[in-house]
Amino acid sequence: MSKELTDAIVGMDEAGAMRLVQAMLDAGADPSDVLEEAKAAMTVLGDKFECEEVFIPELIMGGEIMKGIADELKPRIKGEASGVSRGTVVLGTVAGDIHDIGKDVVVLMLDVNGYDVHDLGIDVPIEKFVAAIDELEPQVIGLSGLLTLAFDSMKATVEGIAAAGKRDQVRIMIGGSPVDEQVCAYTGADGWGRDAAAALRMAAEWTGGAA
Amino acid sequence: MTQTSEQLYAEREQRFNDVVALKKPDRVPVMPLYVHNFPTLIKGIPDKVAGYDHELRWQSTKEATLRFGWNFAPTNDVLASDFFASFGCKQMMWAGEEGGLADDAPHQWVEDEYVKAGELADFVADPNGFTFSKIFPRMGSRLEGLGQIPLPPLYWFSNAYYLQVLGNMLGIPPLNEALRAFLAMADAQAKTNAANGKYLQEMKDLGYPPTWGAALMPAFDVVSDTFRSLRGSTLDMFRQPDTLLKAVDVMQEATIGLLHAAYAVTGIPRQFIPMHKGAGGFMSDEQFARFYWPTFKQLIEASIEAGITPMPLFEGDYTPRLEFLAELPPGKVAAHFDRIDRKRFKEVCGDVLCFWGNVPSSLLVTGTPQQVRDDVKELIDLFGETGLILDGPGGIPDQARPENVEALAEAVEEYGRL
Repeated sequence: MSKELTDAIVGMDEAGAMRLVQAMLDAGADPSDVLEEAKAAMTVLGDKFECEEVFIPELIMGGEIMKGIADELKPRIKGEASGVSRGTVVLGTVAGDIHDIGKDVVVLMLDVNGYDVHDLGIDVPIEKFVAAIDELEPQVIGLSGLLTLAFDSMKATVEGIAAAGKRDQVRIMIGGSPVDEQVCAYTGADGWGRDAAAALRMAAEWTGGAA
Repeated sequence: MTQTSEQLYAEREQRFNDVVALKKPDRVPVMPLYVHNFPTLIKGIPDKVAGYDHELRWQSTKEATLRFGWNFAPTNDVLASDFFASFGCKQMMWAGEEGGLADDAPHQWVEDEYVKAGELADFVADPNGFTFSKIFPRMGSRLEGLGQIPLPPLYWFSNAYYLQVLGNMLGIPPLNEALRAFLAMADAQAKTNAANGKYLQEMKDLGYPPTWGAALMPAFDVVSDTFRSLRGSTLDMFRQPDTLLKAVDVMQEATIGLLHAAYAVTGIPRQFIPMHKGAGGFMSDEQFARFYWPTFKQLIEASIEAGITPMPLFEGDYTPRLEFLAELPPGKVAAHFDRIDRKRFKEVCGDVLCFWGNVPSSLLVTGTPQQVRDDVKELIDLFGETGLILDGPGGIPDQARPENVEALAEAVEEYGRL
C-alpha cells in the first residue's frame, strides 16, 4: 500500500493525492490496485473518526477526494471492480422528517467501509422500507430522524416491517440527535446510535464482521 | 395579598435575571426557550392548520403557558405558512402546501447549496447585488424575475430622471410579479404579527415577560445552513477557507447591525441565538477555533455590550467545547443546552454560565412523569443553587406528553423552591 497516497488522503491534501494517483498510473500501476489503495485510506479515516481524531469535515472531504480519484480511475478499469461486500444496509429518514445530514454521513461511512448501501432518501414511507427488504435482502435497516415526530415514525416502521412478516430477516438500527436507549425501546429497534461510528459498529456486529 | 401584573412581571424577570447572574433565585423557573406545535397538538390541532391560523397558535401558547406554569411567555416559533406561500418559497417544506409535508409535520428547511462554491466570492464582492439577483430567485418561484431582468446597481437610481427607469422596469411582468410577491409577504407578516402582538400584550397584562425579541443565527451558521449547506461549507473549509471566512465576516457585520436594530424595534432585552454547525462532531477544536468561535464570541460580547442577554441554544453535544465556553463573560449569558455532560459542565463552566435545559426529548415524549421528575431532581441537585432554568433540550418537543410537561413544574414544587 502506498503510504504516500494514504497520507495525502488522510491529510486532506486533495491536489497531492491526485498527483500521486497520476504518478502511480504513469509508472504502470494497475488502476484497480490504485483504487483499492485509495479505499484503504478511507478506512483509515473511518478508524480515526471512531477514535475522534477526525470529525465530519474530514469524512466529507475524504469522500470528495475519493470521488475524484474514482472518477479518474474507473474509465481505465476493465470490468467490474472486485471487492467483497461486507453486507447490505438499507437506510432512510423516516416518514414526516426530511433531515438528511446524519443519514448521509452514515451512508458515506458504511460505503467506504465496504458495505453495499442503499439510501432510500428522506420522508420514507413504511412500505418503501418493506419493498426494499423484498428487493435487496439487506441484513441491516437504518432509520434516521431528527424531529421528535420521528419517534412514532420509527416505531410504525418497525411495526410495519413486522406486520409484513419480515422482522426476523433484518436487524434495525435507529439514529439521530434525540435518539437514545429510551427511544430505542419505544420503537422496538435492535440498536441505536448518535453518530456514524455507532452505526458502523452495529452494522459490523450484525453482519458478522469486525468494525 | 394578590400581586399586580406589574409585580408579577417584575418578579418573573428578576427570577430569570438572578439565574443568569448565577445568583440563587426564589425558585427554579420552568421556561421553554420557545415552543413549536406542542400547544396546538395537545388540543388536537394539526400543524397543517396551526401554520396558517396565527391567532389560534398564539392563543394556544397562552393557554399552555398558564396551564404548565411557565415563567415567561414563550415565543411560538411555528413559522407562518402563508408567509412562505406568499412568494412561492422553495427553501422550506410545510404541511398544507401542495406536495408538502404530512399534516402533523412541522416546517422543515430544505438544505441545499443555494450559493455554489464558485459564487461565494461573488457574494463577498457584492453582497447586496448578489442576494437580489441570484439568491432571491432561488428562494421563491415568484421572485425568479429578479434573476431574469438585469437591473443596474441601486445607486444608479439616485436621481429623479433615472428613477423613471426603475418605474419602467417594475412594470415588466417578471419584475412586477416579484414586486407583488413582496407586497404579499408584507400582508402575510402583518397577520402573524397582529396575532403575536395581541398575545404579547395579553401576557404582559397577566404579568408574563416575553422570552426573547429576535433570533439571530451565528454568522457561520447563516453561511453554512442557508448558503452552502454542510457539505458545501465543509469543502470550503479545505478548498477556499479565506473566501469562506470573508463570507462569514460579511454576514457577521449584518448580524451585529440587526442585533441593535431588533432591540430598538422590540425593546425586549433578550435575543435567541440558535446554533448548529459548531457542535461536537461537526468540527475539530482547531476548525471550531478558526471558523466558528471568533464571530460567535463577538456576537455574544456585542449583545452584552448593548444591554441584551444573549440566549444561545447550544444544539447538539457541546461537551467537547466546554473550555471555549468558559471564556464567555461570567453571569451574562442565558446558555441553553441540548445534550451535554452535566457534571463536566459544572466543573468547567459552573461559575461562568447558568444551565438552561435539558430534560431529554426521549423522556418528555416517551417517558413517564416519574422519569421526568427524577431527571429534574438531578438537574436541581447539580445546578439549583447556582443558576438553573428547566426546559426540554430546545423548548418543549412537539410530541411531548402533557403529563410529562406538567411534571416539570411539579418537580419544582417538590425540589426546586430554594
